Amino acid sequence: MHIVVCMKQVPRDNSVKINADLTINADGIEQIMNLFDEYAVEEALQWNEKLGGKVTILSIGPEDWKEQIRRALAMGATDSLLLSDPAFTKLDTFGAARVAAAAIKKLGDVDLVLCGRNSTDDETGAFAPALARLLGWAQLTYVGKVVSLESGKIVAERHLEEVVETVEASLPAVATVVKGINEPRYPSLLRIRKVAKVEIPTWSAADLGLSAADLTPALNLVNRVPPPPRPKGEVIEGKDAAEKVARLVDKLMEAQVI
Amino acid sequence: MANEIWVFIERTAHGDMAGVSKELLGKARELADANGMKVGALILGAGVGDLANTAFSYGADTAYVVDDGTLAQYTTDGYVGAAAALAKKYQPALILTGASFQMRDFSAALAAELDTGVAADSTNVAIENGVVSAVRSSHGGNVINTLTFAPGRTAVVSVRKQSFPEPQASPGRSGAVVTEAMPSVPMRAKVVSVAPKQGAVNLSDAAIIVSGGRGLGSPENYYKLIPPLAEAVGGAYGASRAIVDAGWVPYEHQVGQTGKTVSPKLYMAVGISGAIQHLAGMRSSRTIVAINKDPDAPIFRVATYGVVGDANEIVPLLTEEIKKRTGK
Repeated sequence: MHIVVCMKQVPRDNSVKINADLTINADGIEQIMNLFDEYAVEEALQWNEKLGGKVTILSIGPEDWKEQIRRALAMGATDSLLLSDPAFTKLDTFGAARVAAAAIKKLGDVDLVLCGRNSTDDETGAFAPALARLLGWAQLTYVGKVVSLESGKIVAERHLEEVVETVEASLPAVATVVKGINEPRYPSLLRIRKVAKVEIPTWSAADLGLSAADLTPALNLVNRVPPPPRPKGEVIEGKDAAEKVARLVDKLMEAQVI
Repeated sequence: MANEIWVFIERTAHGDMAGVSKELLGKARELADANGMKVGALILGAGVGDLANTAFSYGADTAYVVDDGTLAQYTTDGYVGAAAALAKKYQPALILTGASFQMRDFSAALAAELDTGVAADSTNVAIENGVVSAVRSSHGGNVINTLTFAPGRTAVVSVRKQSFPEPQASPGRSGAVVTEAMPSVPMRAKVVSVAPKQGAVNLSDAAIIVSGGRGLGSPENYYKLIPPLAEAVGGAYGASRAIVDAGWVPYEHQVGQTGKTVSPKLYMAVGISGAIQHLAGMRSSRTIVAINKDPDAPIFRVATYGVVGDANEIVPLLTEEIKKRTGK
């Protein structure tokens, strides 16, 4: 079984700024593996331990994204692939999906692609569905449990708002996972040292046979602003807890929110 | 490009039209009237009954219907296959969907199938000089993006519920029904079973949410204080990531960057310091109450009303006071 995990690097928190050219400025914020992708890596590793084969970490980004790829390798992934090209800097979600689809087709022997349900920065949740359509594979989003995985078939529980839907699909397939599907492991120091010098293969747009049209965003970003500031609040004062509580309830009843 | 705005009609568990679909029909009607366009209702299912008439009463001019056994349950392949065939034939300028998990699955795959883009989980949509634009937040609500679609491609926009008001129905308003056969598409996945989720909490739908955090000190304190207060105000109860990760409360209840994004009319944060990841999930709530020992806690910067003090002392008093004053 060859499982590919699509992994994105994101700012640890979202206290980002907006540059004059509308790009995101995350200077000074630590870059980490997208949290939902960590669950995807762990899920891939657990099935790999049962079934054997390969777990390839695939990421699209500049050279410095290798750090998070190494973290996934230290968790236990067997292979890695960085898709890196100056032409990739302005990709939108679907452009990224076209790049990943080209790489997965080129790998050729992939049975399952796992992704986090969405990235915590762009939050579109559209990458995996687009990837599945481009590959012509089944898509299973919001998976909270992979019930079984064997050659030719996956059975998984999709954890929706109010129901759990069990879906059976033919492989190859693309699935996205939610938080809580597993408990991601920490990479061991031994493995961190072991993978520190591992060569991470890197493919460019030319290696993937991608044209400028493939990389052109479908959506144009025309404005980007911070949210409007919240109206200034007030601290409820009082001589003791009871008085503060009474005043708070007054305010809430005046505002008709209770 | 035809001069039409389509709304995907979602149904409740009972088969009625979902509130978000009514909201979207209302918005589509407004955009259509302002731009000399028509509104289409996209109705897929098995036994869709009277949905077309309901759609007309909320503003649709035409119902595009595929009524087929294949569509008895939502599957990506079935629904995207049917919708894409209709959209390729009739070329709407814009397709609006809700933004539930199922609709996020559908809208993204449909956009890919139509070789266009999707503005996911948007909060507004506009059409100006034939160009469709959508507003959506990213980075945990810290960035508000306006995106435009290239003219000549069908725009696909999934919209967060309650972004638009629900319009008044005009019973008896009529329209045209266009029925198409289910196209032949590969069905790569099938639904084996659907079960109600154990302990499901639909925080996104709650009008009032009371959340607790590490400041409560222990899971015992959380359960002693938070659910009773939530009950007194008729709300749901939520939690910070810290206490979900510590195992106090199931993940279902987590509010924030890696949990639920909520915007209830009242959000009460108890013993929550207000990490940026938490603020991301609740800062658009209408009224925010913060109760925290630390007067410098970041949660007070977004709070409408702040109470500095020990939650273990304040919350029982608050619960009693609210019960007394609201007569519950």
